Amino acid sequence: MPVDTRRVRAPEESQCPLLFVPLLPRGPLRTVAQPEKARVDGRQRSQVDVRPVFARCGLVTQAKGSAYMEAGKTKVLCAVYGPRESERKDDTDMKAGRLVCDFRYAPFSCPKRGTWIQGSEERDAAQALQEALRPGLCLHRYPRAQVEVNVLVLEHDGSVLAHAVTCASMALVDAGVEMYDLVLGCALRQDGDSYLLDPTLAEESGGHATQPEDNQGGVTVALLPSLGQVSGLHADGELRDESVSAAVRACMEGCHRLYPVVRRALVYAARRKAAPPGDSLET
Amino acid sequence: MATVQICEAEKVYIMHGVRDDLRIDGRACDDYRHMEVETDVVSNTDGSARVKMGDTDILVGIKAEMGRPRPLIPDEGYLEFFVDCSANATPEFEGRGGEELGSEISSTLYKMFQNRSSLDLRALCIVPREHCWVLYVDVLLLQCDGNLLDATSIAVKAALFSTRIPKVHVSEDDEGGKELEISDDPYDCMRLQVEDVPCIVTLSKIGHRHVVDATLQEAACSMASLIIAVTHKGNVTCVRKVGGGSLDPESIFEMTETGKRVGKALHAPLMKLLQEEEVLGKRRQKVGFLG
Repeated sequence: MPVDTRRVRAPEESQCPLLFVPLLPRGPLRTVAQPEKARVDGRQRSQVDVRPVFARCGLVTQAKGSAYMEAGKTKVLCAVYGPRESERKDDTDMKAGRLVCDFRYAPFSCPKRGTWIQGSEERDAAQALQEALRPGLCLHRYPRAQVEVNVLVLEHDGSVLAHAVTCASMALVDAGVEMYDLVLGCALRQDGDSYLLDPTLAEESGGHATQPEDNQGGVTVALLPSLGQVSGLHADGELRDESVSAAVRACMEGCHRLYPVVRRALVYAARRKAAPPGDSLET
Repeated sequence: MATVQICEAEKVYIMHGVRDDLRIDGRACDDYRHMEVETDVVSNTDGSARVKMGDTDILVGIKAEMGRPRPLIPDEGYLEFFVDCSANATPEFEGRGGEELGSEISSTLYKMFQNRSSLDLRALCIVPREHCWVLYVDVLLLQCDGNLLDATSIAVKAALFSTRIPKVHVSEDDEGGKELEISDDPYDCMRLQVEDVPCIVTLSKIGHRHVVDATLQEAACSMASLIIAVTHKGNVTCVRKVGGGSLDPESIFEMTETGKRVGKALHAPLMKLLQEEEVLGKRRQKVGFLG
């Protein structure tokens, strides 16, 4: 290829300059010494203080069931298709149905632009989502069939996996798939001796490179609220073992905070579906 | 994943055994199987190890290559994991059959090392922003008989222990350009600090109890397992619930407790073994893989 020597050629790969700006300029995460100090958005540390949640069912009309959820700036959309005939015929275990999960970030959802090709992070999240949802579903009721769950993250502002789990279980309910229980998700960021429940993206990633102290990490829990069973557990970072147990407890409490909101949204969706034509939706 | 089909009667037999703390091969619930560790098994690598745990056989080779540091962390080198499921282990792995299991294991390994204390990655940096060592950790599953993750993490730790990276001398010429000179003396090398490298403990829930180091038969009886990566200090660097079932919160707390105890007990003998093997040096009789 001929090279134009009069021009300054750009480097082969370029990065967005904003990536190199620390998310929290000498940030509030460094206030470990004063654990009573509030977080950036005014929530309390070490308390079950989740972001306000907005949840709605049935936005994607083409899908069998769908749900949309917002928690702070995190926005997740989920559509469920099926149960329909399984694509994979070679599966030995045909007595139970299959649950297929797909998890994607929209390219514009993160600070750095992503691609449409599924990355390894998304594949891991899809796997985690599948394992968290699986115990809540009565898949034995759908032999030789598969249920497809597609999650699209529109905006990533922390605790994405947790909200994806909640949103996906709402969409499954909306699709009328038989379930043992709802599946609710909650995330936590352990920061020294205190914890931040339902962290934002800045809280999730901040501090990791700047703080040498121990007990830093993230925990995500998926809970079946009325059965009181934990269906998913993901922890990363470096945690003391007593804080693992404390974090799981706090996340379970966070899930229970979410429960009434999700239930109300589901009841609203069910009423709207059952409403006779012409009836008003005001409830 | 490599699985076995077992009938209901066998399942009941295994579950009753676990309830009475006596497993089919005579172990108690938190005992590991007999384990063999050998380092420096492949001469072409910078560090290698083979771990045999029951019939599970794993070979890990580490190659160090020079690369550019990641732009966001300019003063650190990095590790790349690749897990290959050989079709020799089970015909299911033929073609792309083992890909899913392989990527699952490698993503767990990435997570396990994704913190500041597991391995001092700054030691791998040569010139910030320009050159660093990249350690390619290749895991080969030679035989599968359950509990791949625990065996893999032990093999990775042993291989990192045996890794020798040649020293690099950086000199600057008059125009400010840097020149790298790699030492050709095989003894002039850098070792990695592997004290803090975690080991994975997999706990499988069977009935109301949980077992460590489940064989394939036992894994078939278990609905859900918990993977815990524990350092020698007892810190937890990674927790995952795997499998199709859910777990009671109380049993999660019990399992983390067991995982921490068993994991801590695993590190000291392993380090001792590796150091003893090192002292033997060339006099050591090599066994080789699948030996």
